[in-house]
Amino acid sequence: MRHRVRTFTLACVLALAPACASLQLGQTRIENPIAAATSLDQRAYALLQTYAVLIEEATDVVRDPVTPLALTRALGQAERMATPAAEALGIAVAAYVRARGDFEAASGQDQTTLEHAALALAITARRLDEAVGAAKAPIAELQSLVRARRG
Amino acid sequence: MLNLMMQLQMLLTALSALLPLIPVDQRGRAAEFLDVAARALAVGGTIAGNLDDLARKLAAIRGDVEAMAAAGRAVTPGELDAAIIHVRTASAAFRAALETAEASTA
Repeated sequence: MRHRVRTFTLACVLALAPACASLQLGQTRIENPIAAATSLDQRAYALLQTYAVLIEEATDVVRDPVTPLALTRALGQAERMATPAAEALGIAVAAYVRARGDFEAASGQDQTTLEHAALALAITARRLDEAVGAAKAPIAELQSLVRARRG
Repeated sequence: MLNLMMQLQMLLTALSALLPLIPVDQRGRAAEFLDVAARALAVGGTIAGNLDDLARKLAAIRGDVEAMAAAGRAVTPGELDAAIIHVRTASAAFRAALETAEASTA
């Protein structure tokens, strides 16, 4: 079981590792959506969608009556840590998309308006970059939880 | 992958058949261990099945992101809202399932 859980988690973690394009597990090829992104907003979008899919899969595991309670609780703990980070990422990327829209709209405006929009875009881009980084930490925590289960 | 699971389950069945040969004072503990292992293997089967589903969903997301990247297109506010709603819906369903699972074992 530990091997299976390890494989599942490894797949999840590697799927979220930006440097890894895909992972072959037996007959199954696990694609990494984040590796396909070429911009900050695409990366955040891929991370949010990937996280949602991982939680859906974890839900199926928790719903299975044969799942040991310890595994259910470990998944619950991991979800409680990761979802707030994903929510924060959602807020940051929404602010970034709004600021980018304002910047594009300001391109025909006067210099002051353009500078303000550029500054707002730079700030939201930095916050989004930080939020993407912060969202990865709970995933690493999930990995360490499973490593601890391996003993 | 499934073949390996079946082989392990058959091995467990064979080990269970040997239970009467184990000293009485250790039999309960051995039976408990085999039961845990059998349940764990069943979970392994669930995860193996989930892996294909996970792979299909991740490939679909990657396809979306690749199309955006190829077109040099930014994520629209609508797509972003959908992603955030996806996370919230998945999280709510997970927490409900967790509550049910914990209640059933209480």
